[in-house]
Amino acid sequence: MTMTFDKISLVAAIAGATLIAAPAGAADINAGAAKAKEVCAACHGMDGNSPQPDYPKLAGQYPDFLAKALRDYKSGARKNPVMQGFAAALSRQDIDNLSAYYASQPAAVATRR
Amino acid sequence: MTMMKTMKAIVVGAALLAAGAATAQAPSGDANRGRERVQMCQGCHGIAGWRTAFPEIYHVPKLAGQHAQYLAAALAAYKSGARSHPSMRAIAATLTEQEMADLAAYYAQASNAQPSTPAPKK
Repeated sequence: MTMTFDKISLVAAIAGATLIAAPAGAADINAGAAKAKEVCAACHGMDGNSPQPDYPKLAGQYPDFLAKALRDYKSGARKNPVMQGFAAALSRQDIDNLSAYYASQPAAVATRR
Repeated sequence: MTMMKTMKAIVVGAALLAAGAATAQAPSGDANRGRERVQMCQGCHGIAGWRTAFPEIYHVPKLAGQHAQYLAAALAAYKSGARSHPSMRAIAATLTEQEMADLAAYYAQASNAQPSTPAPKK
């Protein structure tokens, strides 16, 4: 009997954890590319290799870092008048799609010591 | 006519001086000096696949090959509080504008530097 209860709570806990870990929706790289052309490419480049020194290169950056930056611009936690305006118009799904798209481009940035 | 030419030269000269003053505002970075200070960055930014632990979990950004001007602006924003990651704020608070420019110059040209430390096995 005790075993059964333990098993039930274990199953419930795993189910709960899976729900929490499940992403809102899988990122769609093609949708990200379309949105990038519309919103981001004028400054960051279509390939994410921004030619302008004050705009960061996005190509090959970690997608979860890109998504965090966009969420923070949207919420105002990260303050930049230009990016706040663009990010405010993006949905959570747009943010995931754009992050996946730019992360998938040939890398312009790398990890070095 | 000569007077006109002289005037023109003065105007052009003044414009050049002004342009020079505008670009001189940000210190120019020295990648070699930056390299000497990079130890404080390596523990997170030098390890491939490294993630933050607090307050949110995500990959720390790749810096090598990024624009120097953007990197220096990022450090300045952490120092001023415009960007708010706790450890980056603490580190940036210790840096002068010149040191930020040096570190930025180092990472901007670091694409060909030593490869990153491999991520530790978990």
